[in-house]
Amino acid sequence: MINDFFNIFLPQGCLILFILIHLVLSIFISPKYHRYARPISCVGISLGIVLLTTVQTEPQYFGFKNAVMSDAYTLFFHFLILLCGFFVALLTKNLVKSMKQNAYTFHAILLTAILGGMCVVSANDFISLFISVELLSFPTYFLIASKKGYFSKEASFKYLITNAVSTGVFLFGVSYLYGLTSSLNISEIYETIIEQDPSLLYSFSGILIVLGLVSKLAIFPFANWVLDVFKGSETSILAFLSTIPKIALFGIVCRLLVFSLGSSFELTFVIAIMAIVTAIWANTYAIREKNVKVILACSSAANAAYVILVAGLVSEYNLSTVIFYLTCYVLMNLGVFAFLNITESNGIGYNLEDYKGLYHKNHGLAVAYAVCIIGLAGFPITSGFVSKIYLFSGIANSGLIFLPFLIAVLLLTVVALYYYLKLIRPLFETSENANVNILSALFSQKFVLVVCTVLTVLIGVYPEKIIELCKFIAYNI
Amino acid sequence: MEHIISIPFLIFIPMLVAFLLMSPFFTNNEIVIRRFVKTFCAFHFIYAILMLAFFDSANPYLTTIHFWGLDWIQSMGVKFSFKIDSVGIILTTLTSFIFMIAAISSKLNIRKNHKFYYSMLLILMSAILGIFTSNDMFLFFMFWELELIPAYFLIGGKWNTSDNEDAKKSAVKFVIFTFTGSIFMLVGILLLHYYNYISTGVLSGDFADVLTTSIPTAIQYLIAICFLIAFGVKLPIIPLHTWLPDAHTNAPTPISIVLAGILLKTGAYGIYRFNYQMMNETFVNIAPILAILALINIIYTAFVAYSQTDIKRIVAYSSISNMGLILLGLCAYNAIGLGASVFHMVAHALVTAGLFMICGIVYLRCKTRDINELSGISSNMPRLFGFATLIVLASIGVPAFAPFIGEITTIMASFFSEMNDVLKFVAVFALPLLIVSSCYMLKFLHKGFFGEIKESFVKVNDISMHEFVVLSAITIGLILFGIFPNVILNLMELG
Repeated sequence: MINDFFNIFLPQGCLILFILIHLVLSIFISPKYHRYARPISCVGISLGIVLLTTVQTEPQYFGFKNAVMSDAYTLFFHFLILLCGFFVALLTKNLVKSMKQNAYTFHAILLTAILGGMCVVSANDFISLFISVELLSFPTYFLIASKKGYFSKEASFKYLITNAVSTGVFLFGVSYLYGLTSSLNISEIYETIIEQDPSLLYSFSGILIVLGLVSKLAIFPFANWVLDVFKGSETSILAFLSTIPKIALFGIVCRLLVFSLGSSFELTFVIAIMAIVTAIWANTYAIREKNVKVILACSSAANAAYVILVAGLVSEYNLSTVIFYLTCYVLMNLGVFAFLNITESNGIGYNLEDYKGLYHKNHGLAVAYAVCIIGLAGFPITSGFVSKIYLFSGIANSGLIFLPFLIAVLLLTVVALYYYLKLIRPLFETSENANVNILSALFSQKFVLVVCTVLTVLIGVYPEKIIELCKFIAYNI
Repeated sequence: MEHIISIPFLIFIPMLVAFLLMSPFFTNNEIVIRRFVKTFCAFHFIYAILMLAFFDSANPYLTTIHFWGLDWIQSMGVKFSFKIDSVGIILTTLTSFIFMIAAISSKLNIRKNHKFYYSMLLILMSAILGIFTSNDMFLFFMFWELELIPAYFLIGGKWNTSDNEDAKKSAVKFVIFTFTGSIFMLVGILLLHYYNYISTGVLSGDFADVLTTSIPTAIQYLIAICFLIAFGVKLPIIPLHTWLPDAHTNAPTPISIVLAGILLKTGAYGIYRFNYQMMNETFVNIAPILAILALINIIYTAFVAYSQTDIKRIVAYSSISNMGLILLGLCAYNAIGLGASVFHMVAHALVTAGLFMICGIVYLRCKTRDINELSGISSNMPRLFGFATLIVLASIGVPAFAPFIGEITTIMASFFSEMNDVLKFVAVFALPLLIVSSCYMLKFLHKGFFGEIKESFVKVNDISMHEFVVLSAITIGLILFGIFPNVILNLMELG
């Protein structure tokens, strides 16, 4: 047990240590030192990234009585989660400022959520998976509710209710799978299934499990929460919500699909239908919407739908496209939310009109934001273009049956283009009231925005190294 | 032949200059920016002419750029590879010329946001040059999408003090139409890429590596139709054309010149590159249907143009009509047809640039584009009248001007095409219907320039120096290619 801890669990252990530090400090330290909470979190997360080098991955390492596993796949996802966690922690300054003595508690919760995300990816057992998912979800309720005012509480409650229902669905599916295979271990189930003939009941349990898990990605049956939650939360929390749960749950869902749920046609078909319905709903909803955060909520749901559609067509190539798309998407999204964080701290609202003419006084920030949005829309020179082609080549390679899905999804990206253009157009317009000010941005906010933009462009110009890495991970799962 | 320096230089220098312009280190002085861009475009044109002069159609310019020894996206076999063949070199030089004209004519039309405007113009230039030179399907697609963002801002941006709600709407319309088209192109490319891989075992997006022979016929047709939709939006082929009149009318004059002069040609070039060259088995069977669509293009839009009252709309519809002729040349599927088609692309680019220039000049001075409100401006704008007469005569196909050669050779090629009798039928119908074009063009000249001058137009000035330069460059081009068509046709090995 102790060996397992040192072999694969050190990054998580480091996070646990820093959570404890935060909790202790929150009790004993004077409220006027609240500004140290953020640096401590950042140190903890960067230490976690450093400790990733100690994790054993070759070829696969099963620890804690097969409850936790570690390979190149989990390592990459852990890295991605920690990187996003680092960026999110950097963006929390303005939120924490208003909290005073609660700052340390807030950061403890944030780190717990990141820890939960990491545990979700590396779970190798449905029990540990369930606990990890809850470890990710519970802090998220508090994070959403951390903003002052009524709407954040409502959003938090809505998210709680949706998640409670979806957890029930997930456990129902797990119970069926346990009944069929009398095992809860993901890799053992895989072996059992290969020996038996997969039955319809087996597909059914797979559908329920995936359905329960993807609710946190805002996929169709449980998609509505995303609008209220995005509307009610603070932007740094949105940066968290649109990245870390996504990475974690896509990580585990893709592996479940490859490992144990296999590629039964029913499952693929149900996932495809869910994805298409979500994409249609999200993209059409955003057309008339005027609130930036709600538009981004729709974009988040739509992107998740594209990814889950490709992930459902299980193959190693598709897995590599999914990993690459997630990497690019997460970076662009963080850039967008970093910009919104800057405007939010400058007292600018969330309506499209509020952004009018920002370009004329803030060339750099506005262009960086525009690059991220253009990337989300899938235009060239950004990683969005390459990842779009690469992701959809996965559908094209899966056979002609899925061609209608490919065309439908691509046509929906046209709809998406409309609202992405709506997001950047006001910035370059001339404002009538002409009282646009120079935005004051903290170094950390600018840092996140610039790093995300530069990476977006760099991956767009030269994607080969990252794609190779994704392929290596996907083919060695 | 490897041209590691020259081709990327030709394509990417405009983009680098655009980034330089956008950077905060560059001055905000409008005159400096304008002169800098004009000078740059002039040098670019000279460079393009030099590349044209040293071009040898047996050895097309070809280069592949590797990044640290790897292809661009090695996992999908996508190369960063460029090739300029004889069609490419003609269109590249034309692009350079049209953008030079657009940069010069921007002076009076653009009053605001100079930095942003000129950098977007140069990025658009890079994208279009990339389309004409890329040698890989995915690279082609990349440039095809890259052109949308600058075009969106150029059409819909606020470049002067007047209200531009319509311009914004038509910019969105343009982007949505083209993006929808390019979705079908992406589907086609992905399918072609995949089926080429499973039938030949070569994972590549290179035009030369794609062999369609072993792909099942039904899928070939599917792919070909996807490409036709994509390029049919840009060309435009009739039911997909509704974005064009709006975009061309509401854009500022230099952008109208670029749109009609070059952007539409990318659609024709795409059909040539993808359908005509790569999917040639299906193209032989699709061509008669396309020819009929081309005929509809020619006839329908000619009549629509006749009924318009906005002078820019007349020119915009005449562009669609002429693009139909270019499509007909490609449908003939013989060497003369291709040569005629490319020749007419050049001729039409010059004519339409001139016509939009004239519309812009008239609108700037008279503040109206309604043909019924214009009258008699020839009496105080004699130089503009002279140019207008020459260009209008050229556009209706009077001999000694370039479009005459283009129209006649296209229709000849279609008539002598050995593919299908439909083409002969189309040729027979298209020729007399070209008369309609003279109707609307002469109406444009007649109503606008002749007659009693209105009082409000008495104080209007004649054209200024830079407008004179642009119009004379266009006119010289028209006459030059009208008298010596072999300058272009020789390159196509049709002399």
